[in-house]
Amino acid sequence: MVLYNLRMALKSLKRNPVLSGLMVGGIALGIGVSTVFVTAFHIFSMNPAPEKSESLFYVKIDNWDPNRPWNDDDPSSTPSQITYRDMVGIMESDIPTFHGGSFKTSVFIHPDPEIGRPYKALSRMCFADFFQLFDPPFEYGSGWDRNSDSGPEAVVVLDHETNQKLFGGENSLGRMVRVEDREFNVVGVLKQWRPFPKYYDPHNGAFEKPENIYMPFEHFRPLEIRSAGNTSNWKDFDWSDFDQYLASEAIWIQMWVQLDSPDQKGAYMSFLNSYTDSQRELGRMQRPNNNKLLNVMEWLDDREVVPEEATSLMIISLLFLVVCALNLIGILLGKFLTRAPEVSVRRALGASRLSVFVQHIIECETIGIFGGFLGILVAVLGLRAVNSLFAGETFEFALDTHMLLQAILLSLVAGLIAGLYPAWRICSIPPATYLKEQ
Amino acid sequence: MLNMKQVTKVYRTDTVETHALNSIDIQVSAGEFAAIMGPSGCGKTTFLNVAGLLDTFEAGTYHLDGQDVSRLSDSQMSRIRNQKIGFIFQSFNLIPDLDVYDNIDVPLRYRRMSSKDRRASILQALHTVGLDARKKHLPSQLSGGQQQRVAVARALVGEPKLILADEPTGNLDSQMAAEIMELLSRINQEGCTIVMVTHDQSIADRAKRRVNLLDGKVVENPTETPAPIRSVAGFAGVKSQR
Repeated sequence: MVLYNLRMALKSLKRNPVLSGLMVGGIALGIGVSTVFVTAFHIFSMNPAPEKSESLFYVKIDNWDPNRPWNDDDPSSTPSQITYRDMVGIMESDIPTFHGGSFKTSVFIHPDPEIGRPYKALSRMCFADFFQLFDPPFEYGSGWDRNSDSGPEAVVVLDHETNQKLFGGENSLGRMVRVEDREFNVVGVLKQWRPFPKYYDPHNGAFEKPENIYMPFEHFRPLEIRSAGNTSNWKDFDWSDFDQYLASEAIWIQMWVQLDSPDQKGAYMSFLNSYTDSQRELGRMQRPNNNKLLNVMEWLDDREVVPEEATSLMIISLLFLVVCALNLIGILLGKFLTRAPEVSVRRALGASRLSVFVQHIIECETIGIFGGFLGILVAVLGLRAVNSLFAGETFEFALDTHMLLQAILLSLVAGLIAGLYPAWRICSIPPATYLKEQ
Repeated sequence: MLNMKQVTKVYRTDTVETHALNSIDIQVSAGEFAAIMGPSGCGKTTFLNVAGLLDTFEAGTYHLDGQDVSRLSDSQMSRIRNQKIGFIFQSFNLIPDLDVYDNIDVPLRYRRMSSKDRRASILQALHTVGLDARKKHLPSQLSGGQQQRVAVARALVGEPKLILADEPTGNLDSQMAAEIMELLSRINQEGCTIVMVTHDQSIADRAKRRVNLLDGKVVENPTETPAPIRSVAGFAGVKSQR
């Protein structure tokens, strides 16, 4: 019976191609626009590290002012970064599989004078485990080992672009790079790498590119490098004194750990609580224990990484689809009611109200499906236009299977919304009225 | 077959109350060919709608084929219409988009029959009305008489016990009308009960019995009135399936 109703729907659509085209086009426009913005939202909110998102944890410790919480509107909030001294303290733990703090800064790179003049580049000061935690793909070599952290050894990992700029893209392992006033040995070169969002440090732009070079964390001390990202503080100190900066309550480091089992996570949380208890005995951290371990998606939620505009535009686009569907109601109602005599004949010949209702809902869903497929084409063109705005980026907005299925599902919902009332009206007509009038 | 007792149907508007059927008693036995006659507005079509379960009524009882059908749900009435009643209308009421085959197929579609069984029934019905060669024609490609024969085939295809015909020859010229009446008479002779509404005396003469309605009441209910079945020159191809 479904196939029969489908055949009747196609006959009905062929009967008035212009009207059918208008209806399908209306749904297609709604599906196309909503799919573009739902896709954008989907990409902004997708899991950037699906394989490790349940084992990577962002560490939050509450070292904030005893008299006011980190966020005045949320007493349970915890500062979004940690202090240098706390990073050093909790990195004493051997519970995590991998762990390490890192921060973004900017340094001067001095290329060979024949190639170019010194320029400022973004650098990430990090530990060897950074490359284990976040798995950036390597073109040449690898990250440095843990022994190089403690020296620290003068080693560096370059990103693809910097290797292009300094060495023409050649295998530069073993070559020297001058950063600030020191020479560093290249031990690794990354391939193109664009975590989206930049989840390991979404501060100052969650969708910005990663840094250009990666250096062992402890080089920041002799170079007296400070964070080029967010730094927050609640307790005064002399900012010009580097040692006071390191001993301060200023927070500027992002701390990540890999905990591969619930037991490991539980043990590490106990360790964190013991650590803050011990700090409280020393006169710090007078607030109640409020340590947090957030997995990747929890961390991105906490940072509200998805742009408000993406959410708003998605909601508006879905409302636009609803408006398209509501517009269809009037057209379908008129179309169906002109068919009252035929429906009356069907009713006389044995069709129940339900049969008539189902027949007309299937016709609406047929319009929805056609609109859905055409809408996917509209969405592909729309996403192509959006991608042209991000030309040169290593990411792109594209429809995946999930989004295609969602577009088809939306078109079915739109067909249903548009068809329910007209189908109910036509199945409710008294057949006797129209049989004599034909 | 059809037994109405004290059936009353009232149409109400804000200011007027019209008794379309006023406590009528009508019985039609199995195998009868009854003509319902009367002037315009006497309640003929209302009677047919009530008899065909296309309309409800306010008072009285109605038994069809021994079953009380006075108060049934929509789906129950639909099932009875589909399985026990065949309709023939004055204006044929074929679905214009569907070819002859698909028009005859409509009632069978609501029976969940297999494709093979439906095809066999449709071809048999087409053969009965002599339109084997026209199954792929659209209604607009047929004459009025041919369209009404398709409508007869559609009414017959489900092998109903009762055929309700509303002015079946009203839109036909006299020769085509004779063909259709010949066809109905043959169907009746095969055992199918026919109740036909008409205001045409000559057409009513073909029925075995007449019931006269006036102002929603039965005014005369003569018993068995023999009506000769006249052969019609030029009519061919009608064969019985029963």
